Amino acid sequence: MPLTFKPWPFLPNPPVMADPALKYVTLVSRDGFEFILEREQACVSGTISRMLDPKNGFVEAITGRCVFENINGVILQLVCEYFLYNHRHRNELNVEDMELPLELCLEVLMAADYLDC
Amino acid sequence: MATMRARHKIRAPRRGLVSSQVDDFESIWATLASSLNEIFTRNASQLSFEQLYRNAYKVVLMMKGQELYDRVKELIGNWLRENVQKTVINSIIPILLQAHTAQASSEVYDQTNERREAGEKFLGVLTEAWENHQLCMGMITDVLMYMDRIIAVDQSKPSINVVAMTLFRDHVLRAKVRPDEPTTVSDLLESTILFTIQQERAGHVINRMLIRHCIQMLEGLYENVGADQNSKLYLSTFEPAFLQHSREFYEAEAQRLLEVGDAATFCKTASQRIIEEQERARTTLSLLTEPKILAVVDEVLILRHIDEVVQLEGTGVVHMLDQNQMDGLHNVYMLNARVDNKKEALTKVVSKKIVELGQEINASSFAPQPPAQPAEKDADGKKSKEKPVNQQTVSAIQWVDDILALKERFDNVWRNAFQSDQGLQSSIEASFAAFINLKPRSSEFLSLFFDENLKKGIKGKTESEVDALLDNGITLLRYIKDKDLFETYYKKHLSRRLLMKRSVSMDAERQMISKMKMEVGNQFTQRIESMFKDMAVSEDLTASYKEHIARSADPDQKPIDLEINVLTSTMWPMEIMSNANDRTLASPTIFPREIESVKQSFEKFYLGKHSGRKLSWQSSMGTADVRATFVRSNGKVQRYELNVSTYMLIILLLFNDLPDGASLTCEEIQGRTQIPEHDIVRNLQSLAVAPKTRVLRKEPMSKEVKPTDKFSFNNEFSSPFIKVRIGVVSGGANKVENQDQRKSTEKKMAEERAGTIEAAIVRIMKSDSPSSFFSSLNKMLIRRRQRKTLTHTQLITEVLSQLSSRFVPDVNMIKKRIESLLDREYLERTSEDPPTYGYVA
Repeated sequence: MPLTFKPWPFLPNPPVMADPALKYVTLVSRDGFEFILEREQACVSGTISRMLDPKNGFVEAITGRCVFENINGVILQLVCEYFLYNHRHRNELNVEDMELPLELCLEVLMAADYLDC
Repeated sequence: MATMRARHKIRAPRRGLVSSQVDDFESIWATLASSLNEIFTRNASQLSFEQLYRNAYKVVLMMKGQELYDRVKELIGNWLRENVQKTVINSIIPILLQAHTAQASSEVYDQTNERREAGEKFLGVLTEAWENHQLCMGMITDVLMYMDRIIAVDQSKPSINVVAMTLFRDHVLRAKVRPDEPTTVSDLLESTILFTIQQERAGHVINRMLIRHCIQMLEGLYENVGADQNSKLYLSTFEPAFLQHSREFYEAEAQRLLEVGDAATFCKTASQRIIEEQERARTTLSLLTEPKILAVVDEVLILRHIDEVVQLEGTGVVHMLDQNQMDGLHNVYMLNARVDNKKEALTKVVSKKIVELGQEINASSFAPQPPAQPAEKDADGKKSKEKPVNQQTVSAIQWVDDILALKERFDNVWRNAFQSDQGLQSSIEASFAAFINLKPRSSEFLSLFFDENLKKGIKGKTESEVDALLDNGITLLRYIKDKDLFETYYKKHLSRRLLMKRSVSMDAERQMISKMKMEVGNQFTQRIESMFKDMAVSEDLTASYKEHIARSADPDQKPIDLEINVLTSTMWPMEIMSNANDRTLASPTIFPREIESVKQSFEKFYLGKHSGRKLSWQSSMGTADVRATFVRSNGKVQRYELNVSTYMLIILLLFNDLPDGASLTCEEIQGRTQIPEHDIVRNLQSLAVAPKTRVLRKEPMSKEVKPTDKFSFNNEFSSPFIKVRIGVVSGGANKVENQDQRKSTEKKMAEERAGTIEAAIVRIMKSDSPSSFFSSLNKMLIRRRQRKTLTHTQLITEVLSQLSSRFVPDVNMIKKRIESLLDREYLERTSEDPPTYGYVA
């Protein structure tokens, strides 16, 4: 996604959401793959949304970086794809289920349970 | 598909996710516990959510979810007990505790300020602890989300968050302040808040936000785990205490205000208190409390005392009405409206006051009544000639004016202070009707009021003023019960106005009729309207008669202009024509020759137009313009135009045929003219006794006219004006009836009512009950067999309801009429028990 970021001309401190570090979050798999996506998209997951809740103030919320020690890159990629898919269709009804490689479905299922999504 | 599936074998989840870790439950718990403590001490920024979450996840997957739950619960409990409870209790200064235990006693008032400070500090610490707790619990719940999901499946246990709240309730709020005393933090919280509210009621400024926070805390905590709305601590403990405390406060307040004994202050304070409590409930306490606390104020402050306040001697509603204190009345109204839809307390007093004032007006209109008879008054009073309304009439009109003023005043109060309240309006009207109908002569007085205004009052007034004036009168008419009596008087007065041309404006007269029609109905004004029609017809008749004369009369004869009013005898109140009490018209007046010829000529003309009618001449009513010539002793001749009544004309014409200086006795005059005795006396008085219009000389000169008195033409008559109007003494003007006249009017009224009642009975008995097309068809077929019957009570009720717009008939009178109809066989008794009547066609 092309990023066009213009600092606000009049305000010395741009609003919080305009800060790319806060608008985007990085999801890291246990084998070191990093996925950068919009915070809003990642928050499809209940777990991630709580993790990033600034009110709670955990380290993930401060750094915008979530490391998942029990999810590997292949699965996390699928999860991220699902986030985008979900986000893209968020305002539609009767959306078709997303295609998943059959052989990974159990692992994806466990990740989904873990991430509450 | 089958082949596809065969190729893609489902990969088993990596076992390592859980079991690759060597950790056992205890070590994981150790990590978790230390992290949770970090959260409690607000050090979360170093913690990784993922790590905590994963740990909890692991524990749950190890099937140790329940154990984790219990451990966490214990951990929270310990934290609250060891840290939070201590902080809170340490913030309690002994003075607070003293104040709490000695709540009711007054000694603490000396230490108000200290107590306030201590209270604020205590509440501050407590709310801060509560907010911290909430925040931490939010974090812990989030971290332990996975565990909660497992617990939720179980259903038997509340979520960890709910548990944490109950723990706070038990370990902090219900902790004893001092180990040796029963007082808990919660008790202290309650008494401190109540104290603060009391401070605010006493007019101090308090920290509302702080109180609001405490209330929010109480609203966030529940008696049991069910999170049932009604088990909120706020509702279960604080609110009842608050309401009780308020009740006591307002009881004392009411007592204090009543001792001051000023109704206006009471109402003002009460209104103020209501606004205060409303605001307090909205900003400081809970919206749920608003209706409850208002109910307490309504009951304790208003409902119990409103009667007393309204009737407070010297300052109550009566006083306010006297002083026209709109604000005070408005406050009373608003308070009474709060507790009573009908506003009974207020209504009662207002009605009583109206009737009282009305009675005063009634009484004062009797008071100045002179004992002397009007006739005597006229003879010696010079003014009465000029102003032919006698004092009784003035007082009658005064009576109406007073009532209108009173009405205006109460309307004003009603509009401004009582918010145009419907119920009060009807009770005000009822009170007016009550005292107006207490005055036996109200109908007559009101008609006189109209008479006076239509004759003089509306001169020089604009249309809208006239309109308002008539409307006012009509308003009173609405209150009058016996509208038929009013109609009689109105007709009588109207006929005088019409025949003597005393009405200022015909437009106003017509306006009046149409207003009455709107108010009372068509039937009421029918006869009055036909009087107007007669007048119009007569005008045309006069004109065409003039034409007729102009064409046919011989020019030598001195023309006499005749203006004639032909009246339909049933529509006009004929008794005023003959004026005297005895209506035996045995001998018609003998007209002088000149008049007689005109009379005959007109009769011929009229009967030529309308055959079969009978004209009877009402000589007592007319007026005439006479040009009289007075020859002075010095030979000078002076001419005057005299405007006199018909009788005077006849009398004066007698003297035309007499030689100069000759005289006639009263008896002789009567013999020659056949004018009724009553009239002749009055007319002679006008001509000979009234100081300014002595056209005749009377001998001996005295006020009384005796049959033997002699009258002669007064050539020395003089007047500053060429045209002289000679009014008939006490005859021409509409005024209050004297006792005899009144009796006769009443008698007539009774006769008329009897007729009306009979007509109503017959109408009712004849009329078909509610008819559809079929039922009326049916009736036509079986009419001969079926006859309408009604029981006695039904009939009476029907008659009463039919006649109520005209007058309120006496039940005895109705009974008599029914009997009379039975006697005359218009009705028959169809059954005895219950008495039932049928109509005999």
